[in-house]
Amino acid sequence: MTITEEKRPAAEPGAQPRPRRSAWVWGWLFTGAFSVVAVLLALLGYLGEGVAGGDVDWAGLLTESSWNPSGSVFGGLAMIYGSAVVCVIALVLAVPVGWGAAVALSEYVPGRTARALRMSVELLAAVPSIVYGLIGILLIRPFVGSIADVPGGDSLLAAGMVLAVMIMPTIVAVSVDSLAAVPDRDREAAFSLGLTRREVIRSAVLPKARAGMRAAVLLGLARALGEAIAVFLVVGRADGRLPGTLDQLLNSLVRPGQTLTTKLAGPEPVLAGTSGTYFASLCGLGLVLLALVAMATVWGNRGASRPVRVARFRGRRSAGRSRVQVDRFVAALRLSALALPVLLLLGMFAVLATRGSAAFDPSFWFTSATGAAGGGVSDQILGTLLLVVTCGLIALPLGFGAGVLLGVHASARTARVLQTLTVVVGGTPTVLLGLAGFVIFCSAMGWGRSWLAGAFVLVPVVVPMVALPTCARVRSLSPEMTESALSLGLTRAQYIRSVVVPYTWPATLTGLLLGLARAAGETAPLLFTATVFFGAPALPGGIVESPVQALPTHIFTLSQDSGDPQAVAQAWGSAMVLVLITAVLLSLAVALRNRFEGERWTT
Amino acid sequence: MDHVITVRELRVRDRNKTLVGPVSFEVEHGSTTGLCGPSGAGKSTVLRALVDLLPAGLTREGRIEVAGRPVVSRKGDADLRAKVVLVPQTPVVFGGSILDNALFGLRHVMRAPRQVLGDRAEQALKEAGLWKEVRDRLDSPAQTLSAGQRQRLCLARALALEPTALLLDEPTSALDERSRDTVEESVAALRGRRTVLLVSHDPAQVDRLCDRTVRLELPGAESLVAVPS
Repeated sequence: MTITEEKRPAAEPGAQPRPRRSAWVWGWLFTGAFSVVAVLLALLGYLGEGVAGGDVDWAGLLTESSWNPSGSVFGGLAMIYGSAVVCVIALVLAVPVGWGAAVALSEYVPGRTARALRMSVELLAAVPSIVYGLIGILLIRPFVGSIADVPGGDSLLAAGMVLAVMIMPTIVAVSVDSLAAVPDRDREAAFSLGLTRREVIRSAVLPKARAGMRAAVLLGLARALGEAIAVFLVVGRADGRLPGTLDQLLNSLVRPGQTLTTKLAGPEPVLAGTSGTYFASLCGLGLVLLALVAMATVWGNRGASRPVRVARFRGRRSAGRSRVQVDRFVAALRLSALALPVLLLLGMFAVLATRGSAAFDPSFWFTSATGAAGGGVSDQILGTLLLVVTCGLIALPLGFGAGVLLGVHASARTARVLQTLTVVVGGTPTVLLGLAGFVIFCSAMGWGRSWLAGAFVLVPVVVPMVALPTCARVRSLSPEMTESALSLGLTRAQYIRSVVVPYTWPATLTGLLLGLARAAGETAPLLFTATVFFGAPALPGGIVESPVQALPTHIFTLSQDSGDPQAVAQAWGSAMVLVLITAVLLSLAVALRNRFEGERWTT
Repeated sequence: MDHVITVRELRVRDRNKTLVGPVSFEVEHGSTTGLCGPSGAGKSTVLRALVDLLPAGLTREGRIEVAGRPVVSRKGDADLRAKVVLVPQTPVVFGGSILDNALFGLRHVMRAPRQVLGDRAEQALKEAGLWKEVRDRLDSPAQTLSAGQRQRLCLARALALEPTALLLDEPTSALDERSRDTVEESVAALRGRRTVLLVSHDPAQVDRLCDRTVRLELPGAESLVAVPS
């Protein structure tokens, strides 16, 4: 932001009136907030229009299991079942470990180590889902194939395991935040009453952190429900599999299946045209998915911010000696739970580093691809950077505007509604963003595959990640400071410019970097809108029909060809490059946060 | 003598509950008027009502005139606040240098060349009794100042606006005894030159610093009359 200084000779001090330029600031803030609403409207408009364009049999969609477009049978129950099963498997595996690890990280591990571990967990949480998908294909799928009689290992179980690995870091990170928010004096007070560490955690720490830890699970669930690509690669995508008996139910876990997201990420939405019952039924599935994910996200975020209710004390007094033993046993259990994500992290980087060793060769970064799976990935890197930078340029002002408006808006109700909407946009399954972008930009506006469409589609991913931390930071401004500024005669706009912006920018920029790290790894929104596997120039020459190549979609295409060792090597190399790019963005964000967030801007 | 601020039947309400008032008083040009009373009587709330900075949810009734013009309750009346400047209880120092802070309000309210701004800042710092202590380090961070110096810096940046009236909200209550004396000296030096409305819970301080006193009672109490001291 620049303030243009007009040079006018002042006849006497104070003769010049105050510059009246507040309108544009408000315009900016409202544009930001409106962009959030607009994304939701566009999304609902696209899905609603689709549903209205054909004759959807809602009862059939929600209760029938058979999906057969050529016979005009559209039953979605098997997909809903698939989605439910993979999420349940993911939660059952990830929640106990995630919670245990979070408690260990926050309560047992000494400060310096804990900080390093927390950062690694955040890094894990930011690893693009396509990389998890790749790990799923090459490690988890064969593992499932070896324990059950299923060709290749494509199954709901494999998908659930991939999701478990994927959401565990999210659960740990959010839970640790809520544990760390419990003040140390609570622990001190409990310790000084003679409680063991386990008892302190149970009766002093967990009651205050419980809401946040529950929220962590819901956020993990929302992520699992909305994930398309990682599941797509390992679930087998078999329609109409719905078990009737308990026996079949257990058996269905190790059989291929289909989920809501994988149906939408497949080729069908593009083949189905843009009207008719087929398309309408797909849009109906999209609505169901959006509603489920929105519910989980909104609940999760509400839980995190809601004041803690007093929990019933469920403890039982035990005798002196066994107390100590129980304490040791629980500590061991929790530390071993922490070992799992740590091993996961080390294992993942070991696998990435060995299999993706191509990425350590500079020529891999700086030469173009040759043939289907040879050469380097310089075009893909450039394409990804182009998409991410364009997206960031659009998302930064919008997200900042929305965040500041949320933070300073006078009416509490408007702020609450807007914040909920922002949270919903942030949790929207990206595959839906991709489909909406495909219909709006590529078909209706006639852009075809276009890098700009891809950048636009990524914007809703980044905007909430800029807006929410900005809003939190604005709200942490002390009321005294606001009052001091206003009592010196500043207008609201001048106050925003001179007080709010200098105070919030570190949070804004951190959010932007984290958002871009996520956008860089998004695959599903780009598949239909912006990228091709091969044959596009490194940098596009126009907007209409100018696709680019990008790293995530490159990995996605290569990894579906898992029989070809050269393609696999190329995929791992590209994954390593992508992880390195994400890691750079992330460490910049963390460094920025550590440098500025703790620093008090005023006293 | 003409009145800079006239308050008639001012009430502050939170929905149906009357928090303050009715209060009537006036502040004469060039005088230092004390506003005192027990805690909870709404002294600070009255000051905020004067400059339209009531916390969200509170409304005011009654008539307020500043320099002969009625104050219409309207959100964001920045021009009013640049004329009648409130100095809050706890000194808030913004990021940036001492000079930046002294110019914080002025720079937004009017455009003037750097030289003019600098002169005004120097004048204000002198008036607030801070100039001698900071003249050599105007560019160092304002956070390096002590609490008493900060309060005087807040006073200086209000004075830099050349306000019609200054509203001081318990300017010494957040300070230790020694800083209190320095701030009181600065306020005493304004006597007769500026129009000041000083809120204080300390009757002795009001006696020391003010020409006349307005006493606020807890809501429900009868007498709310200006008592010339």
